[in-house]
Amino acid sequence: MPKTITLPPYLSARSADDTVAVCGLLLEGGGAVLVDASRLKFADPFGLAMLGATFQMLRDVERTVQVCGLGAAAAGYLGRMDVFEGVERVDCGPPANQRHNRGDSLVELTRLDTPQEVDQAAYRLAHALVGHLPGIDPDEPPDEMSGYTTFDRLVEPIQYALSELLENALTHARGHGFAHASVWVASQHYPSSGIIRLGVVDNGCGILASLRGHPELKHERHLEAILAALQPRVSCNRDLRLNLESVNQGVGLTTTCRIAEHAGGRLVIVSGDARHDTAGKSGELAGHAYWQGTAIALECRRVGLPDIRYRELLPAYEGQYRPGLRFE
Amino acid sequence: MRSQITLNQYARGHMVGTRHTASPLRDEAEKALARGYEVVLDFAGVEATQSFVDELVGGLILRHGPDILSRLIFRACSDDVRAIIEFVAADRCDQYLKAHSH
Repeated sequence: MPKTITLPPYLSARSADDTVAVCGLLLEGGGAVLVDASRLKFADPFGLAMLGATFQMLRDVERTVQVCGLGAAAAGYLGRMDVFEGVERVDCGPPANQRHNRGDSLVELTRLDTPQEVDQAAYRLAHALVGHLPGIDPDEPPDEMSGYTTFDRLVEPIQYALSELLENALTHARGHGFAHASVWVASQHYPSSGIIRLGVVDNGCGILASLRGHPELKHERHLEAILAALQPRVSCNRDLRLNLESVNQGVGLTTTCRIAEHAGGRLVIVSGDARHDTAGKSGELAGHAYWQGTAIALECRRVGLPDIRYRELLPAYEGQYRPGLRFE
Repeated sequence: MRSQITLNQYARGHMVGTRHTASPLRDEAEKALARGYEVVLDFAGVEATQSFVDELVGGLILRHGPDILSRLIFRACSDDVRAIIEFVAADRCDQYLKAHSH
């Protein structure tokens, strides 16, 4: 008999505790799993990426996954988002292509396994998301002064954020014995509210392991590690000896957070047993929930994206040195 | 003598984004610098992430010191790219000088 796990009504960043908890239950133990989705009402890209990552991790260890009880709307939506790849559906609603196809506003779950894939994926996902926004014409003539279109102005901040988040996930996450970690990403635009949501989930070492031993980390706690990672110039390898192959500046996550906030949004970051919402509550996850890796939800308002100026988001430089630079 | 790296050809859309893309370009710049060339980094038509600029420019500073900047020319930068270069260069020069001050 397969182990039966019931999904909560909401799989989302706002219910991160429940989302992480149920994914943890699915991954526990061994053998086949039957997922009862009869209570599921709503999933956002964070929840989709978490569930999709969990399903794929189960399949990677050859555990059978069946889903039952999905309503027609949820079945269509999750199917369209490719969450069910390799998952058997039992007594669920009809396939996505028969009804409830919401392809005008969402980009399906995507898995990345190598840093080489990040540039192309960030570009493709940002274009796919913005390309589906109502009222946006990717082929409009560019502004004569700037050379940019409205489409470009919307794509760039999303591409920037995805590039930073995905590369972070495929570099930092792969240390400390997690060389085979992957990252999953999903995104959606909600036309009625004008909100764009991204979910980026990895199954790597987590932020605490990545920052262990860093002087900014006073206590070895997941929440403290998340908060430290959001500080400028805190990185697992910023301060290592010179002449390494690559060192990070410790600014990418900070800038990504500021992109979200300047566009009227926020980040929710889950790693280990902790959750931090840059616009809400932070603390340990309820019910001893735990995610081995890092899961990030980015939320922003579409209307705020064209006004993003990266030069206004950089951390203040507090040093004394002003190098001479040759601009032409 | 100058050697030019045209970043637009490495962009996806209008953006150069990852450290992974920047790393071989830094190697290319280092080879040109080793031959005695000045290196022109041409940003015409592209925006860049801070990570990309750090891997390319910050990496050169950490390896060779702030003096390397006298042999780099930044061409056709947008206001955002210029600000990112200024931030990365100042931060990495500061870090280099602190590391070599003992």
